[in-house]
Amino acid sequence: MTLDAVLLIASGIPLTLAVTAGAFALGAVLGIPLCALRVSRSSTLHLAAVAIIMLLRSIPPIVWLFLLYFGIGSGFLRVGPVEASVAALGLITAANMAEIYRGALRGVHSGQWEASTALGMKPWARFRDVLAPQICRMALPSSVTFFIGLLKDSAIASTIGVGEIAFQANYISRRTFEGLEVFAVAGLVYILISLPIAAMSRQLDSRLRERVAQ
Amino acid sequence: MLSVSPREERADALVSRREYVRVEGLGKSFGPHRALDDINFAVRSGEVVAIIGPSGSGKSTLLRCLNQLETQSEGSVTLAGITIDAAKPATRQQLTELRRSAGMVFQSFNLFPHMSVLRNVSLPQERVLGRSRKEADERSRALLSRVGLEAKADQYPNRCSGGQQQRIAIARALALDPKIMLFDEPTSALDPELGLEVLAVMQELAEAGMTMIVVTHEMHFAETVSDRIIIMADGRIIEEGPSAEVMRRPTTERAQRFLNAVKNR
Repeated sequence: MTLDAVLLIASGIPLTLAVTAGAFALGAVLGIPLCALRVSRSSTLHLAAVAIIMLLRSIPPIVWLFLLYFGIGSGFLRVGPVEASVAALGLITAANMAEIYRGALRGVHSGQWEASTALGMKPWARFRDVLAPQICRMALPSSVTFFIGLLKDSAIASTIGVGEIAFQANYISRRTFEGLEVFAVAGLVYILISLPIAAMSRQLDSRLRERVAQ
Repeated sequence: MLSVSPREERADALVSRREYVRVEGLGKSFGPHRALDDINFAVRSGEVVAIIGPSGSGKSTLLRCLNQLETQSEGSVTLAGITIDAAKPATRQQLTELRRSAGMVFQSFNLFPHMSVLRNVSLPQERVLGRSRKEADERSRALLSRVGLEAKADQYPNRCSGGQQQRIAIARALALDPKIMLFDEPTSALDPELGLEVLAVMQELAEAGMTMIVVTHEMHFAETVSDRIIIMADGRIIEEGPSAEVMRRPTTERAQRFLNAVKNR
């Protein structure tokens, strides 16, 4: 296998990262209102959120991707492959992040909300100053795990022609018939990206734990 | 033997003072369960009232109705001039004012674990009273030294003992200049030694003239520090009066039974 081939595979890294980061950002933001609906006291809103989350999670990512790209994207709305990938993976991420936030919310002691209420803090201040930082801290490990999973799932974007790592590897293997080496290198690239992210998360987590663990 | 204790002297002076709390016909139901039933009492400015009674008698629920952490099913609560009636829901402004007037200390401390001790005390001042960070920090440091914890200002709460955390929680509540302090079993989560340092801070507060309502299992504190004792059982007030009198000569059979149980151990 030539250096050129390795470099070509590596040239897919930016798009892999872009699709992953874009989808994660979209999901992390959309997950907040979805989680709010999920824990709502109104049973209509609660059921709506449960249904949305179930729908998003029980359909495979690649089906969502084709649905958005070939379904909506080829009709009245023009959607490029990168946008379609970010949207499809982002929606699935939103459902998962909503559940991660909900778990973190349950992990925050109910006394925290009560104490800030009794102190006379307004609902927004209670959320921003007291709840949100603790939820983020609690949600960190599961979020990073999900992010790394998403990084690998982003490979499905290759099926609609996004030139990321898996796409480049596929392209080279078809031309050179060196499937084993090429995909081994692609796998190695994924590992090399995941490892530092996991290490950073562990370090951040233990630092936070040391400081504020209860 | 006939000497008048300072507390009794204070009790006499209290008669002329302003009423800070008035509870009328207060009732609270959780589904079919009746937690509070027809509660009536008043607390005057500077008075220290201890609420005692067996577990599940509604003491904490009563305290939580006073600052509307629980909304009552019937009756009204008047605290520092704000009346909240079960018949009509409280406005947000009423609730804000009510809670600003009443500081609350919880059994589980409830300090914010992600903030330093100083931030714990300063943040509510900034958010609720609109103090600047500098003003708030100054006030916080003064209060932390009042509860003997100036040195802990830059630590995180989990680096402090339970007794220290509860004293910080008291400082946090005091920082908002409340008219009345509500204590919900402040020493129940602490071992006896650590409980003492919290009780000492509370006694100091009482002597400084703070109006206090204390839900407690500390009989000695109830007898020696409070002016008046309310005994509750099954969601009702079964006995009420000057502390020494209630402790020594309870009139109802239920109160006698409770006091015997807690004294003879």
